[in-house]
Amino acid sequence: MTANVAAPSSERRRRARRRLLGRVLLYLGAALLALWVLAPIYIITVTAFSPRSVVYDYPKHLIPREVSAETMDFFVNSTGVLPSLWRSVQVALVTLALSTLIGAPAGYALARFAFRGRDTFRLAILSTRAFPIVILSIPLAVTFIEWGIYDTIWSVALMHTALALPFTVLITSSIFVSVPRDLEEAALTLGCTPISAFVRVVLPLALPGLAAASIFTFVLSWNEVFAAVILTLRERTLPALILAAITESPAPFRFAAAWFMAAPSLIFIFLIRRYLLGMWGRVSR
Amino acid sequence: MNRRNDAVLGTRRISRRDTLRFGFGAAGIAATGGLIAHRSANAAGGGLGGRWAPWPHQGGETIVFLSTQLRPVEEAEKMRNTILADFEGSVDFIPEDTGPFNDRIAAEAEAGEGTIGVIGAQHGDFAALAARGYLADLTDLLQELSDRTFVEDYVQLGKFGGEEQLYIPWMQATYIMVAHREALQYLPEGLDEESLRTSLTYEQLGEWVRNINEAEGQKFGLPAGEDGLLHRFFQGYAYPSFTGGVNTTFKSEAAAQMWQWLKDTWQYANPQSVTYGAMDEPLLSGEVWVAWDHVARLISALRERTDDLIAFPAPRGPQGLGFMPVVAGLAIPKNAPDMEASRALIEYLTRPEVQATTLREVAFFPVIEGELPGDLPPGVQQEVDAVQATTSDPQALPSLLPVGLGEQDGAYNKVFRDTFQAIILDGNDIQQTLEQQAQNLQSVLDAAGASCWAPDPESEGVCQVG
Repeated sequence: MTANVAAPSSERRRRARRRLLGRVLLYLGAALLALWVLAPIYIITVTAFSPRSVVYDYPKHLIPREVSAETMDFFVNSTGVLPSLWRSVQVALVTLALSTLIGAPAGYALARFAFRGRDTFRLAILSTRAFPIVILSIPLAVTFIEWGIYDTIWSVALMHTALALPFTVLITSSIFVSVPRDLEEAALTLGCTPISAFVRVVLPLALPGLAAASIFTFVLSWNEVFAAVILTLRERTLPALILAAITESPAPFRFAAAWFMAAPSLIFIFLIRRYLLGMWGRVSR
Repeated sequence: MNRRNDAVLGTRRISRRDTLRFGFGAAGIAATGGLIAHRSANAAGGGLGGRWAPWPHQGGETIVFLSTQLRPVEEAEKMRNTILADFEGSVDFIPEDTGPFNDRIAAEAEAGEGTIGVIGAQHGDFAALAARGYLADLTDLLQELSDRTFVEDYVQLGKFGGEEQLYIPWMQATYIMVAHREALQYLPEGLDEESLRTSLTYEQLGEWVRNINEAEGQKFGLPAGEDGLLHRFFQGYAYPSFTGGVNTTFKSEAAAQMWQWLKDTWQYANPQSVTYGAMDEPLLSGEVWVAWDHVARLISALRERTDDLIAFPAPRGPQGLGFMPVVAGLAIPKNAPDMEASRALIEYLTRPEVQATTLREVAFFPVIEGELPGDLPPGVQQEVDAVQATTSDPQALPSLLPVGLGEQDGAYNKVFRDTFQAIILDGNDIQQTLEQQAQNLQSVLDAAGASCWAPDPESEGVCQVG
């Protein structure tokens, strides 16, 4: 009898302890993951704003003792950095617009309509990523020279759109799948045309997913080096310029450049983040 | 054998050494200084229409100057803001990695529409471009520039074994050693800071880094990383110093001794050496105290910590003090948008005063004879002293960059790196590895159809690995 009474409470205690342990492990894991991402960003930031002599110190100081924008200043003001930053933003925005305009309708079609060869089409989209751009580089450059858009933001944006489209199409199609068909049909019965049903009902629900796709596209375009290097010469995007200038530069400049590259995409992700949170809130409901 | 080599090489070796000496301005400074003055006076009355008159070229179009040299941010900025400052036209100096550099020139050549005006690159970078016929013939430009005396060996290299002058020499560099002053206390008996410059042997270098190892740990460093220039250490330094040759002595007994020396010494090298591309940063951070590398890859350390570091020539071996000068050149693609403007830029960059500015600002040495400027920054001055100590050494044994390899250039370097990998890193048997790699080396030379170059004695037909 006494044993029977004791059993459930010890059982409960054990379960509570296990739950606590589970939670501690979860938070520990989350903290480790966060550290994994944040530690390099922190070290880059601290080093980028340290005086040159401190950069080579070993062991590294985790808390900066001296702050200096000297290297950063030289880097930012060296030829071409600011214009190429602006070009990178332009290229990313054009890529974003083009790939959404082309990719979202394709994703919608894949999600809503059953047509012959749909699965093949879905797979074929991915195959564009299977071609290494390395072997395409010279023909691409030759073609763009002939079209007269070599060394402009347009050639790079077109190339980035081609690279981003598979992701945009697949991500948007899975988003549209998760928007219930019934809602769209209800809108149609209440007097919407197919287009206005899409704009007024489907699009608002799909917005978080589109935001996620746009992060992919933006980051892809922002970080892409190879095509940008081959397709531009004087009108460099930031990664192309930095690749040429930084790989052989001393460490202080590499840290400055790394920070300068990382900061804008972090800002973009922070701006777009609330739509992402909205996605978990709404679509999963 | 050695006697015979000496006899064959006797005259040639002297003339090469002399030209190199002149190139670095190490010998006969007063005399050549006088020559320059004399020559420019001649030029004033010559066909140039006034002294250094800018080339006539139409329009204010910006010249695109694509370069595999001077890539680091600071160097590129110095090129744009200081070295090119007095040029009459406007220039867009664009440094680029070798890969995209080659692709771009190929693409412009195929499209038949060029934007690039002038190409600046190392001798090795030009080989593939020359082989595919992308470069314009500059023979007449070289004649127009006859008032400046280029180092003759470099002019010959720019012909790639043919008749046409495909590039004009631009600037030169070589390799030296740099050490921390703290390391000097561990110098082996009989060596001090002074004699380090004039008598360091490979034997003593090994002893030195062993002493350092006992007290401080593994502080010797070589650029054995993927981007490092370790192959040049073998081609221009270790092989010539130990064996008196490179290809013809590749698997000789002396070569085996050289590899044994490196094997013994490598245990005192910082294990991170296999990741080093350039030695300036390991020297700055103190991971390495004694290092060998290209002057351009050491200069930032010498600039940053001039007082803590000391520069000196590479060591000498039984056959002499092997060293390798390297050259960068200027070329014009066949479809350059404005030939005249491109030629004007080359004329500008090879002027004596611009060559002097180049040395002062980016530590690349002039390719024309003449007096070196006196007002050099201390870091550059240290390099100049070390280079002059090298070239004026009575035992100096200069090697040419591999000649006539064309597209086999990369494969040739790979043989030396593979041998290093096998013997030093994997610990394979020295003689056996050398036998194997000698076959690879021979097939590279066969594929290129290259005859021997200095310090190997001239060969009839393809160079034979020995």
